[in-house]
Amino acid sequence: MNGDADSKLAGAAADGETSKPRQRFVLEETGFDEVPEKYRKYYRKWKGPSDDLGPNEVLCPVCKVVIRSTRELRPGDRVYCMACFTRFTVTRSELGALEATIEY
Amino acid sequence: MADFLSAYSIQYWLESCPQGYLEDTEYGHAPGETEPALLLDDPQLRQQSIRTTVQLVVGERCALAASSGLINAAPDEASKRYLATQTLDEARHVEIFTQRLYDLGVKKTELEDVLREHANPNLVKFAEVLLEKVDKKDFVAGVVGQNIVLEGMAFTVFEMLHAGVKGVNPKFAHTLSGTIADERRHVGFGENRIGSLIKEHPEKKPEIERMQRDMSYYMLATFADAFRRAPDAAERKRLAQDLGGRPEASWHGVDLATADPKDMEQALADTVLKEFKTRLGRIGIEYQSPVRP
Amino acid sequence: MAESGSDVHSLSPDRFLEEVHSFEFWFHAVEGYLSATRFGRRPQTQEAPLSESERDRLITVLCHYCVGETAALEASSGLIAIAPNRLAKVFLATQVVDEGRHLEVLLHRLQDLGVTEPEQEIERRATGSLLAFKRRLLELVEGRDWEAAIFAQNVILESLEFTVFQAHAETADPVTRDVLQGIVKDERRHIGFGENELGRRLKVSPHVRARLAAVRHELDPLVLASCDETMAQLGTPPAERPEIGRSYLAAVHRLGFA
Repeated sequence: MNGDADSKLAGAAADGETSKPRQRFVLEETGFDEVPEKYRKYYRKWKGPSDDLGPNEVLCPVCKVVIRSTRELRPGDRVYCMACFTRFTVTRSELGALEATIEY
Repeated sequence: MADFLSAYSIQYWLESCPQGYLEDTEYGHAPGETEPALLLDDPQLRQQSIRTTVQLVVGERCALAASSGLINAAPDEASKRYLATQTLDEARHVEIFTQRLYDLGVKKTELEDVLREHANPNLVKFAEVLLEKVDKKDFVAGVVGQNIVLEGMAFTVFEMLHAGVKGVNPKFAHTLSGTIADERRHVGFGENRIGSLIKEHPEKKPEIERMQRDMSYYMLATFADAFRRAPDAAERKRLAQDLGGRPEASWHGVDLATADPKDMEQALADTVLKEFKTRLGRIGIEYQSPVRP
Repeated sequence: MAESGSDVHSLSPDRFLEEVHSFEFWFHAVEGYLSATRFGRRPQTQEAPLSESERDRLITVLCHYCVGETAALEASSGLIAIAPNRLAKVFLATQVVDEGRHLEVLLHRLQDLGVTEPEQEIERRATGSLLAFKRRLLELVEGRDWEAAIFAQNVILESLEFTVFQAHAETADPVTRDVLQGIVKDERRHIGFGENELGRRLKVSPHVRARLAAVRHELDPLVLASCDETMAQLGTPPAERPEIGRSYLAAVHRLGFA
């Protein structure tokens, strides 16, 4: 699905999570209206530090929008924030949470 | 002035363009519309369409550079805001005509080379005359050059192209009709805003008249080059029939399907120059006849 | 655009950039949040009564915002001429119209508040630090310094506006809130464009970093001072003021010259 072979390898090397099948998600629009309609379901508003992100979600550190995917995210995956035009690689923080690391 | 400019507000622009005639379009045409198969399959026809479209991209790139450059030179906030909408209109035109080049089979990696190869040198000179004024932040001359001369030419050329293709290529005709709608605002602003500024700065007239004469010369030279390469009347009629459209396409009393290219060039040049004369007269500038190239 | 049935994140990086820097993208993005508004205000939003001093402070703050938006309008339009490629030029054209719209909705709001000559009012209430920032930004554009001008405008100015407008929207009257929230939605694109454009350039030309650090050193105090002035007008006590530079500092940290 994520057609970037390097990203997949990076993810596998990071924590070996690719051995388990990924969860799939059906996305629905949540009222985020800042990108064209066809992309809206991939994003939602962030509710602040107490917002509990799902396994298919990661926070855009540039513009603070929650980026969503149709599948469970793992380190090494590539995601895009269409609200601020940024490309990220998903990483895992020291505390174990998924983070988006910018790729210029 | 403020009342007149309220019709050129961004709110008005939003309601009339993105929420108006551009709604439900994709690169300026209805989603799913494509170039006619014959045009894509016939190498000569495709090449001719690429050449025509390149001139449109070159002209629109010049308009984008000029309208954005004029924002900083504008003497009032309302004109700056109007020029912001024109800047985006011009960027949209660059985008949709560039997209047409891709639709005609130009590869993205080859775009700049194709533009360089086919750009008419006289059109490039036409653009340079205008951009020199913009670079000097000469707002009055810049707006006359951009919104009266360049836009006046584009308006008429687009109308002629539209008349020629509407029966045979609905996709390109739709793309053109959106740009024509935009150009109406641009020429309107040029006349309305500049008329009062010319009155305030009569000393600028000789320089503006020189610019208009030079730009008109290069415009006519561009037309002459373009029509020299155009297929003759019999060939155009055959092509129109092959494309399944109406063979006749009338514009300003000229049948574009059967007229000789020389007559078409004459009709286009006469129409544009007549328009210049009328528009320039309304803002108090005396039209200067260029030497015929 | 995403293939039907596929995830948006499966786009190639080149295709993604081509998509988001297009007029088409902008056109469908703003349609989502602007189509039901007039001059940035939703029709159902009602005016809330303001005391005379609240009204006066709000006018001052909106005048400051207008100076910032005029600077951004003039700078972004000037940047089109020196943008390195077509996608950047088209994106900047969308930013030009965004900035023009911001100026327009703010001027309209000033008129709502009874300001009859907004341009004169702006001149009267503008702060020295803001005007100095504007002057320097336009000098960078005039000097055709693409990296420094993008840094000053799309990283420094935009990220600080983003934070200030968000903070102000939380306490603003309902109409001003509508106007500010619409502006913030546009700013996301602008800050993202700036950071990504510079990030890509710094990756291949790390020597640019030193020049940008000098620009930052020069402009930081001007922008931070004007933010402080604005927050003071809004009546936010220093201790409660949002961490104005937070998103900006995070951006410069990501770019590697914090």
